[in-house]
Amino acid sequence: MTKYIAKRILLAAVTLFVIIFVLFVLIRIMPGNPFPVERMSAEMILQKRAELGLDKPILVQFADYMRMLLSGNFGNGTSLYNGAPIKPILLACLENSFKIGVLSIFFGTAVGLLTGIVAALNRGKFLDGLCTVLSILGVCIPSYVFMIFLQYFFAYKIPFFPYFFDPSRFLFSSIMPALSLSLFTISTVARFTRNEMVEVLNSDYVKLAESKGLQGFELMRRHVLRNALIPVVTVIAPLVVDLLTGAMVMEKIYGVNGVGKLMVDAIAGEGVDYNYVLALGIVFSSLYIGVMLLLDILYGIIDPRIRLSAKEAA
Amino acid sequence: MRKLWIVLLALVLFTAAGCGEEKPGGGDYLPVMLERSVISLDNDYIMDTTSMEVLGNCVEGLLRQDRNDKIIPALADSYDISEDGKIYTFHLRDAKWSNGDDVTAEDFVFAWRRVCADANEYAYMFSDIGRVKNAAAIISRKAAPVTLGVSAPDSKTLVVELEEPVPFFLSLMPLHIFYPVNEKFFSSLAARTYATTPETFLSNSAFTLEDYKPGAANIRLRKNKNYWDAASVHLDGLAYQVVTSPDDALTAFKNGTLKLVKIDGDHAKNIRDDESLAKNLRTVNVGHMNFLVFNTRNENLANQNLRLAITHAVDRETLVNDYVMDGSQPAYTAVRPNFAFNRYNDEDFSADQNKFAEYVGYDVKKARGYLDLAKAELGAKTFELGLLYSNDAGTTLVKVAQALKAQLEANLPGVTINLQPMTTAERLDKSKKQRFDIVLDAWRPDYADPTTYLTLWQTGNANNFGLWSNARYDEIISDCMSGDYWNYDDYWAALHEAEGIVMREAAIAPLYFVNQTILLADGVRGIEFHALNLPRVFKFATIK
Amino acid sequence: MEKVYTPREGDFEFITERDINVDKNFASQGYWKGVAIHFARNKFAMTGVVLVSVIILFAIFAPVFSSYAYDEIVSVTDAAGREVVAKSLSPQFAGEGEGYFADKTFIFGTDDLGRDLWTRTWQGARVSLIIAFVTIFIDMIIGTSYGLISGFFGGRVDNVLQRFIEIAGSIPTLVIISILAIFMDKGIGLVIASLLITEWIGMSKIARAECLKLKEREYVLASRTLGAGSFHIIFKQILPNTIGPVITQVMFSIPVAIFTEAFLSFVGVGIVLPQCSVGSLIEAGFNNITILPYQILPPITVLAILMLGFNLIGDGFREALAPKLEDM
Repeated sequence: MTKYIAKRILLAAVTLFVIIFVLFVLIRIMPGNPFPVERMSAEMILQKRAELGLDKPILVQFADYMRMLLSGNFGNGTSLYNGAPIKPILLACLENSFKIGVLSIFFGTAVGLLTGIVAALNRGKFLDGLCTVLSILGVCIPSYVFMIFLQYFFAYKIPFFPYFFDPSRFLFSSIMPALSLSLFTISTVARFTRNEMVEVLNSDYVKLAESKGLQGFELMRRHVLRNALIPVVTVIAPLVVDLLTGAMVMEKIYGVNGVGKLMVDAIAGEGVDYNYVLALGIVFSSLYIGVMLLLDILYGIIDPRIRLSAKEAA
Repeated sequence: MRKLWIVLLALVLFTAAGCGEEKPGGGDYLPVMLERSVISLDNDYIMDTTSMEVLGNCVEGLLRQDRNDKIIPALADSYDISEDGKIYTFHLRDAKWSNGDDVTAEDFVFAWRRVCADANEYAYMFSDIGRVKNAAAIISRKAAPVTLGVSAPDSKTLVVELEEPVPFFLSLMPLHIFYPVNEKFFSSLAARTYATTPETFLSNSAFTLEDYKPGAANIRLRKNKNYWDAASVHLDGLAYQVVTSPDDALTAFKNGTLKLVKIDGDHAKNIRDDESLAKNLRTVNVGHMNFLVFNTRNENLANQNLRLAITHAVDRETLVNDYVMDGSQPAYTAVRPNFAFNRYNDEDFSADQNKFAEYVGYDVKKARGYLDLAKAELGAKTFELGLLYSNDAGTTLVKVAQALKAQLEANLPGVTINLQPMTTAERLDKSKKQRFDIVLDAWRPDYADPTTYLTLWQTGNANNFGLWSNARYDEIISDCMSGDYWNYDDYWAALHEAEGIVMREAAIAPLYFVNQTILLADGVRGIEFHALNLPRVFKFATIK
Repeated sequence: MEKVYTPREGDFEFITERDINVDKNFASQGYWKGVAIHFARNKFAMTGVVLVSVIILFAIFAPVFSSYAYDEIVSVTDAAGREVVAKSLSPQFAGEGEGYFADKTFIFGTDDLGRDLWTRTWQGARVSLIIAFVTIFIDMIIGTSYGLISGFFGGRVDNVLQRFIEIAGSIPTLVIISILAIFMDKGIGLVIASLLITEWIGMSKIARAECLKLKEREYVLASRTLGAGSFHIIFKQILPNTIGPVITQVMFSIPVAIFTEAFLSFVGVGIVLPQCSVGSLIEAGFNNITILPYQILPPITVLAILMLGFNLIGDGFREALAPKLEDM
């Protein structure tokens, strides 16, 4: 088992390294890099590029960058925030996105699971239909429509919640953003849970357990939920990454100083700064790969068959 | 202008009625909308008006603009100019930084040398525009920063040496790039962390940072107790909120979350019919000029007649009234009105919008005439031209570009316009490499002189995207910039001649002068709006 | 030495049709026929089919029969000889409207440039559907082949291919599109290209999972024993059996593609105006949602109906295929 995990981690590290390289090269060839300025003359730009070491061969630049990354640093920006070190700024934005993301995942998973379970237990009845319709609506309506709707009604028509996100009143002002993000999670989780539950409920071993006289809560806990929820984790995991990293529109609408907004600031507008794009790309990829790794290892623990097939593969 | 005062007066009266609004978060903090986030609060790095404005409420330079854009003393109590116009001596008043340190002449020397040494976006104000001695050499790394022609004989006297007399040098002083920086404080910070948090920032003006993080969507400024003119500041602070959607802006204003918001054309039109809001509506003069630049390296656009045809095929009135709708004005000159005034008779450089009626204006018949000439000269029947524009700078430009396409294609048979939207960074990149046919460009004046526009089309200027070149024009501009015109009237006339050349050869096609429509809550008064430098100044603002 | 018997002609005879016992009572029915019948009995799925067909029909025909072009700015000359543009008119029918445009019909109203929203909505639906179908079709081919190869060969090949997927999947879409924009003009082509790069991954995962399941089956083993090559097995033996799950995935991917395109438009890198897509129409309407809500309603409704329809069809497919999947 240890060997399997070590191998998996090593593999993830290699993948991440390749990703960083690809991102690095791609971002170096993006247009306007790194001085999207109006007033500087062409000679001045060339001179500044030389001073930043951007005229060196790309492999040398990459080696320098990796050395910096390995020392736990993202370097400095070029034009955003007067070229301040990226790390503290990135961390502050990540914190905001994370908090709202976690809140919405928590909410979305809880409601989604509940809806899914209720629907499965009442299969074919009215409640099932209602849950299905709701979960389909959640997938069909673009989340920003829901965001605007929430903001319009609960911050303007009924001015209960603050109109914009306010870090000094964190919990209160992040309820609406979190809620609007969780809509998609709710419907996805609900749908998936329902389908898994139905499958498990119809399975032979549950029928056997029932025939042995196991009933109600005990049956649910010991046989149904355990087997139905494991696959649900696979759906939630990528959603987690999405929610933690890519809520650009939500952050735009509610004015949240998060990573999505940072990404947009760094890629469009007047303060274009590709060093931030690179740093954000690396953070996103690490998160993605990290979660996938965790999932793989978890699965290895839960389900020995996967571990075996992985061993064969390796 | 008179109407504005009547509206203002009406507003004052309304104020009496509209009292008792709750104020957010303790004290008189004025909640104000920002269109985008602050990019930097270090004057050396700033290149956008949003950052300029926030910084400008916290830091002051030697001089500043008054309500009517006249240059008045700020940190400099008085100044002398030498006979030959090359040496300026500023006498500083007693002022303090927000940490209690005195503002000294050395702070200016330090800050200015730093700007030239770093050679960022606005450093050209020292070299090409301000002609400060040795600035150009320092920026191109041919001289050491200490050789900059600025010195502090004592802590309250600042002497600036210029290479040539610059007739508008004083009007540069309010610009952020000429602000002082406290050397002791700056050196005590880790590299590149200046102005990234309230703790790493010092102010010397009306407000100081209370709450700010890089990229923050909300920024709070608090009144600066150490400001020399603190008695004139009535607000307890400012609460900035970044709002990117015009619809959000309107709703946030309606429910009282924000007291000053910018509104786009569609919303302005809608609000004019809404009595409860119409009284809060204002149009302010904030400064861009939007214009088309033609790439003269394009084989078709090198033809002057084709360029003139395009200039004549644009219906600027419709463009402004039907699509922009935010109080912007159609443009028929290459220099924006309302910011450059004759030093002696206060004549606005571009007050007369009809002076180039011969070369620019909506006239389909004339446009088609030019087009036929162009077709004959180029031996082509159809022209396919790309139009570059930014799509990350609000919805108005997107609309304008589409309207332009429709107008040009309808008025000029055989001309096809392909729209090419992109981010501003990409647009500038493509423009600088001449990878465009026509680009929708904008320029906000940097200082109160027509040359802020007229240097743009000089041969070799980094902003001469179209590579248009005219020997006579270059001669006039370089003479003007190097102080060869001793007589101010001659200077003024020469600039008019230069502008005429740009228009005659249609190097550009001016479209419209951007104004802003804003909503201002009842009882908020005293905010200054400027066509150049700081768009909004809150020093004298009050909330009733 | 034993004598070896050599078969002669006449030892065997061809059986004729009358000798085969065919079950006439329970006619055999093909796999796909069964699926189709099952699918057709599903009310939800059929609702989905109807919804999607209606939108597709409108998308094909409405722009053709409309009296305005999708990029036409409708205007008339007023009494003063000035051109008036039909900007931001709310929905109206000829005779019911006001002002200079009273005799014109704008079923969904006009947008802020004076273009008919009815035409634009269906033109937008057309563009969005084209984008979705083209990308998903190509993605299906790429993703399925990739997944099958990865799953079938397993081992080192699988490992490398899966790492490549991780790499491709973790580059932000915005970065991909910005870089693609260097080489291509903005517009439908760019949107399709960037969707191509990001959307095939899901498809390949499904195909790989199916392949892992199928490659252990007896018939694959049989083919292999008979000496069939790997690619023959992958594309002739395994591929036909993965079509069911892949089609289900396609049905779910089409709305995702429409959605992603809408997101790209929302962030400002999508379709180039005056061309329009459902996403770009929503983006345009979004700016005026509280003052001119009728501008955003049609595209959002079309988007929601399309999403709903494709989701229902996808669900129907999954259920129709399920009986066959269960006994595996």
